[in-house]
Amino acid sequence: MQNAKDTFYEMLRGRLAALNPGRTIVLRGVVRPGVLVEENELVSTVVLPDCFRVNWTQAAGDPDGDLATIALQCEIEYETAGTALNGGMDRGRALSAMDAELQATINTDTQTALKSNYKGLTTGLAVEPMATSIWWGQLVFGKVEIKDDRLARTGTVMVMSYEKTSEL
Amino acid sequence: MAPLLRRVRSYFAPVNRAEYHPTLFDPTQNGSFALGSPPPPWVDLGWIAGFTRHCGTKIDPVRSGAPAVTQLQTRTEIEATLSFAFESWGKLQMALSGGTQQMNLLKAASGAVAAGSGATAIAATPLLTGSTAVISQVGATAAAAFSTGELVAVDIDNTGQTGFVGSGVSGAYLKNALTDVDYIRRITLNVGRIASISEGALTLESPLIAGVPGALMKLSAAVGFCDREGSSFFQEWSALFVGQGQQGERVIWHYPRLQAMSGIAETIAQAAGGYEKARLSATFRALPVKDPVDGETVVCFRSYIAG
Repeated sequence: MQNAKDTFYEMLRGRLAALNPGRTIVLRGVVRPGVLVEENELVSTVVLPDCFRVNWTQAAGDPDGDLATIALQCEIEYETAGTALNGGMDRGRALSAMDAELQATINTDTQTALKSNYKGLTTGLAVEPMATSIWWGQLVFGKVEIKDDRLARTGTVMVMSYEKTSEL
Repeated sequence: MAPLLRRVRSYFAPVNRAEYHPTLFDPTQNGSFALGSPPPPWVDLGWIAGFTRHCGTKIDPVRSGAPAVTQLQTRTEIEATLSFAFESWGKLQMALSGGTQQMNLLKAASGAVAAGSGATAIAATPLLTGSTAVISQVGATAAAAFSTGELVAVDIDNTGQTGFVGSGVSGAYLKNALTDVDYIRRITLNVGRIASISEGALTLESPLIAGVPGALMKLSAAVGFCDREGSSFFQEWSALFVGQGQQGERVIWHYPRLQAMSGIAETIAQAAGGYEKARLSATFRALPVKDPVDGETVVCFRSYIAG
């Protein structure tokens, strides 16, 4: 399951960075593409604007095939106050731009990515490509929420993967 | 207590078509096998969905007297059919659900004329001594033409044979001799997938269904499988279905001879993320065997193994 989550994040980060290299965040002193996985970061009450925050919220399994299939619900939250230069009056446009980036990243013709094991990175080893691919469904946009001076939205997508017993 | 079954697992064993000899399953000796490792020669086909049995046996009354009164009953027809869908796609599942010849799509020779079930194939590679059911010795030069993950079909050349053909499991019946030297490798169920290649040896992911290859067998690379609606051959197999109860009990349905009685079709099931899962679905008719215990003609056995 963790390999599927890591692979989807890597896909998302790579595609978003290619689509809009200017969308970056500074996290723990490092400039990086504007997407993060909440459960992989320090717990914080501060919500970073103008970036995509990935949360894994639900999981379901189907054990009937040769390999068990796992379906993970991924919620991608993002919010923006627009730019100070425009006094926030462009916050709707900024949110639309983020909608478009997410749509272009997820709802593509190819909605699969070769699953990889990233565990080795923590010990300086290489990423290990696996034998199967993850795949995902269509992105579903939630309603716009107003959070003080920010507009926020959550996009939801189901991510599926075959799981080997050895991945447990 | 009634067995509480969540799903049913299926197993295959070959029928010797030429000698009308099915594989019989003995529940007294093997009834408690681990579901993931059936006793040889049974092959695991994975879970199935919608397992439904239909009894078509007719029982008629024999009446006499006036007014007529049923004096006794007689079975006038014995018939059993069943239907289900395989959860997994594989060579065997496709062949059995399709019910007819299941062609291996052998890699085509350069410039070959197009054909729906596979063009003229690249010349097959002879197997060398030392080959086993999981290791195909082909020599370093020939091995360089194969790649890990590739499918291979292993069988003898077609030299004008007629009758049932295909090693391990009959894959077709030839009424007339054919000239395609690769035809038997096209229809054989003796296939595998290359797990690794080393020093001229192709190691397969699982053993070939025909076991250790014969000296005349050759190996052809395949890109996939193809079945055709409308061909003439009937696949026949010995089948085993196991439902595991929640108290350790087990229900085993054994059909020594099954033939498909439906055409090639899939059923569609909803899958996560808005996808649709295509299952290989089929309906089968059970054919008879003589139970050696008492000589009765039967088409299936249902066993209950207490937990």
